[in-house]
Amino acid sequence: MTGASLPNRWKLPDLGLGVGLRTQHFRHITEHWPAMDWFEILSENFIDTEGRPLHFLDQIAEHYPIVMHGVCLSVGSTDPVDFGFLDKLAALARRVKAVWLGDHICWTGVAGLNGHDLYPVPYTEEGLRHMISRVRIIQDYLERPLVLENPSTYLTFASSSMPEEEFIARLAVEADCALLLDVNNVYVTCRNHDLDPLAYLDAIPYEHVVQVHLAGHTDNGTHCIDTHDGRVIDEVWQLYGRVHRKTGGRATLLEWDANVPKFPVLQQEVGKAARFRNGTKIVTSAAA
Amino acid sequence: MNLARAPRLDTLERWMQAVVMHPQGAMPGVRSAPARRLLPQAAVDLDSVVLPSKALSAVERLDIYAHMYYARLLEILVEEYPTTRQILGAEAFERACRRFLARHPSRHRILNRLSERFPAFLARHLPRGPRSGLAVDVARIERAMEEVFDAPRAEPLTAAQFGAIGADAWQRVRLAVIPGLRLLKLRYPANDHMNAVRGKGQPRIPRPRASFAIVYRRGYQVFRRDQEPVQFRLLAALASGATLAAAVRGSVGGRRGNADELAARLGAWFREWAAAGLFSGIERQATGRRRR
Repeated sequence: MTGASLPNRWKLPDLGLGVGLRTQHFRHITEHWPAMDWFEILSENFIDTEGRPLHFLDQIAEHYPIVMHGVCLSVGSTDPVDFGFLDKLAALARRVKAVWLGDHICWTGVAGLNGHDLYPVPYTEEGLRHMISRVRIIQDYLERPLVLENPSTYLTFASSSMPEEEFIARLAVEADCALLLDVNNVYVTCRNHDLDPLAYLDAIPYEHVVQVHLAGHTDNGTHCIDTHDGRVIDEVWQLYGRVHRKTGGRATLLEWDANVPKFPVLQQEVGKAARFRNGTKIVTSAAA
Repeated sequence: MNLARAPRLDTLERWMQAVVMHPQGAMPGVRSAPARRLLPQAAVDLDSVVLPSKALSAVERLDIYAHMYYARLLEILVEEYPTTRQILGAEAFERACRRFLARHPSRHRILNRLSERFPAFLARHLPRGPRSGLAVDVARIERAMEEVFDAPRAEPLTAAQFGAIGADAWQRVRLAVIPGLRLLKLRYPANDHMNAVRGKGQPRIPRPRASFAIVYRRGYQVFRRDQEPVQFRLLAALASGATLAAAVRGSVGGRRGNADELAARLGAWFREWAAAGLFSGIERQATGRRRR
């Protein structure tokens, strides 16, 4: 099922198959050094702390490539850019030799407050200009491309004048930023907004995509919530296969944040991606 | 839609935040004064701001975010304050948390600062009584545990470094405490109560009795323990930057008793603190003599 190889425009590597690094697995990882191509960390969990998590991260970063993924950069916020926070991100990136770092296409707070959630931006020309300007400022300051993820969204602003996928595509091209395509979020968003996930995927500029996310979600019937609490459903695997055919291979990561299972279950679940990735590394449950 | 009436981005963000952070949920949020000041038309015709889906109304869609805001932050407070919650009961604890979050919404990107004002909030807002008093003291310990968990690393002094401080240097020596140390003067035996909860589950609410607790990190583990009152005063004096001599004089100087016994107690306390790794540096003050 391997498709034609389409490199990303930064020639960032296809890291293979990885999982989100979670505290429950620190000890297992540092005792067994299990087979895993790379780990993604939640940046904010390792900022403003010098406690146990950082102690484990330092060891793990010596053995595996690390990618930083945040939830509080608030790129879409109309508050001023927090350069102090960017300094902290940059320091952590240097410390763990992050292959890349990113966040979400969203805002998390305004007027000095923080909702600790991924709030949708209105898909308007004003919203787009604002995001482009902020991404450029942040990229210039960090001196590296920002890898931004499509979030799961649960509402549509009446003022939106373009579909989400067009907003994301234009943002990526005009701000010249990288994309983290979360195929579970594509599924969830399309379910919540009665959209066609295939049309969504067809609109993405794949030369900007450097990473793919997989995750489970909760289907409430009337809407889906991006809960990261279970296995990836078949429909999402099919979307992943489609992305793989378009790209020929991108660093792929499984997120599992609630009801977190033992590490071998994560290995097994993310390993399912290997069937779409002929010729790439296959994660096994055996210790390295 | 009518683009001429589209809200500006900053207005829309402030409006949505006011709605989803409202403690009673999205519809009371839409009708709240701050939200109406920003987007008055939303209170009259919400669909003109947020579209319904096939399955959900506009307010139900906003409620997803409103629910998640409180659910996520409550989950963190439940995790950080397990014994406070046990003392107050789950419902009273959640009520207090909701009031706290409404009064003190998060202003930090990093969640470890979310509850730094929670113990003081409980002290001001819980009804008076032993249960509340104990809960406040336990909350102070649980908050201190969070803080020292994240505190900067510091290499503790070794026994040899301690031993090298001669008695003749006490007038000039100050000890630096590790950043991961908190000293808590409490109205209830809160640390004992936390130990009892850990052991048996449902101990009785104790009578008020002053207690003196320290919370500290050794390596990457967080510990808490009680101190004798004089021991606590001495450690507090040292932590505030007093010289060894001044700290001892200020905390035990006025007490009558056998000098040998006092020396033995001081020795035991310093050995306990050294074993706990509470000190990270020795500063020797200049003698103060001026050259002529």
